[in-house]
Amino acid sequence: MFDKILIANRGEVAVRIIRTARRLGIKTAIVYSEADRDSLAVDMADEGVFIGPAPAAQSYLVIDKIVAAAKETGAQAIHPGFGFLSERAEFADRLLAENIVFIGPNPHAIRAMGDKIESKKAAAAAGVSCVPGFIGEIEGVEHAIQISEEIGFPVMIKASAGGGGKGIRVAYNKKEVQEGFPAVRAEAKGAFGDDRIFIEKFVTAPRHIEIQVMGDKHGNVVHLFERECSIQRRNQKVIEEAPSPLLDEKTRAAMGEQACALARAVQYDSAGTVEFVASGADKSFYFLEMNTRLQVEHPVSEMITGLDLVEQMIRVAAGEKLAFKQKDLKIKGWAIESRIYAEDPYRNFLPSIGRLRTYRAPAEGKTGDIVLRNETGVREGDEISMFYDPMIAKLITHAPTRIAAIDAQARALDQFLIEGIQDNIPFLGAVMEEKDFRKGDFTTAYIKDKFPQGFDGVPPTKTQEKLLIACAAVARSFTAHRATQTSGRLNGPAVGAQRDWVVIVGGVHHATHVDLDDSGADVFIEGKKHRLDTLTRPGARIVEGAFEGAPFSVKIKSAPEGYTLRHRGVTLRAAVATPRGAELLKKIPEKAKADTSKLIVSPMPGLVISVDVKPGQEVKEGEGVAVVEAMKMQNIIRAERDGVIAKVHVAAGASVAADEVLIELG
Amino acid sequence: MKDIIAALEAKRAAARAGGGEKRHAAQHAKGKLTARERIDLLMDEGSFEELDMFVEHRSAEFGMEKTKIPGDGVVTGWGTINGRLVYVFSKDFTVFGGSLSLAHAAKIVKVQDMALKNGAPIVGIFDAGGARIQEGVDSLAGYADIFMRNILGSGVVPQISVIMGPCAGGDVYSPAMTDFIFMVKDTSYMYVTGPEVVRTVTNEIVTHEELGGARVHAAKSGVVDGAFENDFEALTQMRRLIDFLPGSNRDKPPTRPHYDDINREEPSLDRLIPDNPNKPYDMKELIEKVVDEGDFFEIGAEFGRNIITAFARLDGAPVGVVANQPMVLAGVLDIDASRKAARFVRFCDAFNIPIVTFVDVPGFLPGTRQELGGLIKHGAKLLFAYGEATVPKVTVITRKAYGGAYDVMSSKHLRGDVNYAWPSAEIAVMGAKGAVEIIFRADIGDPEKIAARTKEYSDRFANPFVAASRGYIDDVIMPRETRRRIIRALSTLKNKQLENPWKKHDNIPL
Repeated sequence: MFDKILIANRGEVAVRIIRTARRLGIKTAIVYSEADRDSLAVDMADEGVFIGPAPAAQSYLVIDKIVAAAKETGAQAIHPGFGFLSERAEFADRLLAENIVFIGPNPHAIRAMGDKIESKKAAAAAGVSCVPGFIGEIEGVEHAIQISEEIGFPVMIKASAGGGGKGIRVAYNKKEVQEGFPAVRAEAKGAFGDDRIFIEKFVTAPRHIEIQVMGDKHGNVVHLFERECSIQRRNQKVIEEAPSPLLDEKTRAAMGEQACALARAVQYDSAGTVEFVASGADKSFYFLEMNTRLQVEHPVSEMITGLDLVEQMIRVAAGEKLAFKQKDLKIKGWAIESRIYAEDPYRNFLPSIGRLRTYRAPAEGKTGDIVLRNETGVREGDEISMFYDPMIAKLITHAPTRIAAIDAQARALDQFLIEGIQDNIPFLGAVMEEKDFRKGDFTTAYIKDKFPQGFDGVPPTKTQEKLLIACAAVARSFTAHRATQTSGRLNGPAVGAQRDWVVIVGGVHHATHVDLDDSGADVFIEGKKHRLDTLTRPGARIVEGAFEGAPFSVKIKSAPEGYTLRHRGVTLRAAVATPRGAELLKKIPEKAKADTSKLIVSPMPGLVISVDVKPGQEVKEGEGVAVVEAMKMQNIIRAERDGVIAKVHVAAGASVAADEVLIELG
Repeated sequence: MKDIIAALEAKRAAARAGGGEKRHAAQHAKGKLTARERIDLLMDEGSFEELDMFVEHRSAEFGMEKTKIPGDGVVTGWGTINGRLVYVFSKDFTVFGGSLSLAHAAKIVKVQDMALKNGAPIVGIFDAGGARIQEGVDSLAGYADIFMRNILGSGVVPQISVIMGPCAGGDVYSPAMTDFIFMVKDTSYMYVTGPEVVRTVTNEIVTHEELGGARVHAAKSGVVDGAFENDFEALTQMRRLIDFLPGSNRDKPPTRPHYDDINREEPSLDRLIPDNPNKPYDMKELIEKVVDEGDFFEIGAEFGRNIITAFARLDGAPVGVVANQPMVLAGVLDIDASRKAARFVRFCDAFNIPIVTFVDVPGFLPGTRQELGGLIKHGAKLLFAYGEATVPKVTVITRKAYGGAYDVMSSKHLRGDVNYAWPSAEIAVMGAKGAVEIIFRADIGDPEKIAARTKEYSDRFANPFVAASRGYIDDVIMPRETRRRIIRALSTLKNKQLENPWKKHDNIPL
């Protein structure tokens, strides 16, 4: 076994590797760029080696610097994590030449799987099912029909040169091929001047399912079952789970065997992942590609198998044999992982980088039969930098059943507090509550299908609304009760605290009465009694306890008129008033919302780099009108409709707040 | 007796009816509450006792003798806010447009006198049309009587004005002399002369909102200390503000139990100061992480944003926080920031509220606009205010404390009681670059030499240790322990005794 390894990576995966290395008694060294000098990973590692400026191309991707760092620290092996150099065959080659062990597969395997076409050929040769299709000259409609029937409907007829949605037809039967083939050919000729066509199987209700494999240097290969990663946004995985709700034992075994066959074919000797697209309609599955590294979502496989994949990678790299056989591996329970990103779900998931003013993660560990794990590389006060992936953390829950794991995940998300930058927790919370997700009924188009207009929060259920109203009423009652202990009161503390509060949500008044006691309160909402047990006190940002016996966590923030409450995908603004106050509030008419359609506002705080229009100028929808720089990224601000510029409120060099008006249209 | 009681009830009902249902409805339609409704929101439920409900004007000019409405356009009295005594007067726009008669003024004067005598804050709610013109000079006399109480009460009891409708002409000067003014957006405006007069005199065309709306005064003129969305929010927040203030200068500010740990450490503060000295950070994060329960009430949040002034609590007791804000103009001191902070410091000093100062200041803002605007005297106000203040003063320098601005920001030399610095503090006459260009003027043509000199200067002075070696800094503390250290420092200052020499009053550079 190694005495010391070098981690050629950063952030959460570096922390992840250090944790395992520590447990195995292996010393760790880590490389770091300018931006990571004070990072958690560097703090945790036994040694750090500075390797240059923040951009990865000048630091984490420079092989010479990594090799030099290994020599300087005397590390015998390098773990590349994921991303960066993890799938660069020349890096593995170089380490081989330098006599440093690469904790990953051999260069031959990396090369074989690195090329899309080569890997498909290798897969086909190893008996892995590939998307059936015909590549070659198609003579005419009759030939196309014949090919389609061989492949099996539905099929996709696609122009070789196609792209951007042009030159693609899906045919569900012979007739549609008859019509579709000439149409696509004509379109292809017209649009691309190239009428070569290919036909392949169209996978209906596609789902992304991948098999985790693990091999050693002694020819042993096993698979650690599947992960499902269908919940994606723009090809970025957001929620992953293991096992997949789609698969039955037979399909699982078939996929696993094929994945192992491919791994064996390339003498695979580390942790790797064979990705498939599977049809939600008939469970047919087809090879996509193989990733020759540890995957971001590996923890869900660890949770259901009880294995530590990083440990296994280190052991096999050191030449050990896998200590288990396929028959020793069993799926235990269900694991769900959410990727918590620094992005604003309410603004089309715009990246939101900056300082983590507040970062409070739920406690890791085992509670009953629930295990909670949080993989992160940051602490409160750290910076989410523009230079790297904007992931803040991976939150993983494991439970005996899928629903229990989802519920645990939803609760853990409620306990995860991030402030200073925007996060996608409300969105993740909304998915955990969504019925098709809970049923396991989804495809890779899930997010687009369920949130076609983007995410704008979800309305509370009746129970959630009651809970949030109760939290607001109790929080307010508690501060009123505390006020009775203020010094200098006229009649002393005998003057009782207000116990009747009206909680106003979206213009609807909810009369409450709160009887506080030592362990929480009885809350009467419209006369109906509810029990809210909580020991949360003023100043806490999360109210925790049990509502009607069910545990809950609600994020709470004071607002001028009451509180803003967040729970799951719900954000609620609640005004809290005395009964008399509420009566008076009713007399104040809602202010007419200002017509903002004519306003062009800055989507983020930043610096105005340029204003590209003048009053009186006509602009078209989508035309750039100004450039605002935020965290060194230049964002082009565009007109959202046609119009004439009426007024320009800012000039280059001005710093603007989020939602600040930049330009008015006439 | 029954009849007598019934007659009293009838009289009370007539008084409470104010300007009548129609006018009340009009008031509501404008998004405003009535005078009494506002008091209901401000005071603890059922605590308000009205005074002078039956007062009527005595004017007989222009047929005024025929229209008398009990109360005469202002509701006055006392009640409690979270159990503590507060006096109030609330102008009733539905009665004679809330205009000020001699009788109306006398009612206000009466509660002002009571507040002063009994040592309790007074809140004035403004929504009125100005002087009662029919009363002529009597009305002016009435104004002056009120002004006089504002002046005598200044520094004795907290005086707060809330502008919730029109407030023009003579009406503006009473609020102007109170400690804090707040406004309601869209429904209130405040100016000496209105748009019509402006147009006649200067041909300038301007709206009420542009001339004296809440946003303008909160962000541009700095006349008001905060703007709220509606009457409900404004008055709810006034209750929150009153909770920080003592009844009078004879009292200590009120304390209450808190649910925060006085030893709470905040490791993230160790990484608050960016590596790059020119990169800003949000000083509000520091305030939020230091004070009890992360709760603070900002004064003048939209004006002179390069300095933050706020009330907060430490170990349950109110403090005034003054802090440079690196996010805005690098936290520089300019005219607006100096004026805003000076007034806040003097308020705290007048009312026995300890002052906690967080310093990250690169100096005073250069430029003709500042100099011709009188930066010298405005900056001196803050210097003066800090120097004369005798309340406990605890200061923490987080990063830059350059030049004269270092002296100004509650330095040891201005009788700062406990002055701490973070290890990242740079206490120097100026930044290294500027200093080197003066000291080593001869080397300016040689960038290498300049770089070496800059490093030398920066190694020598860009730290807190030179100042600490002189005793100008009492200790260099870890950022994470800032809360604990400030609380401990303040606890030693509970019985601080310090008096300025006797004088009739000082002559602060106004």
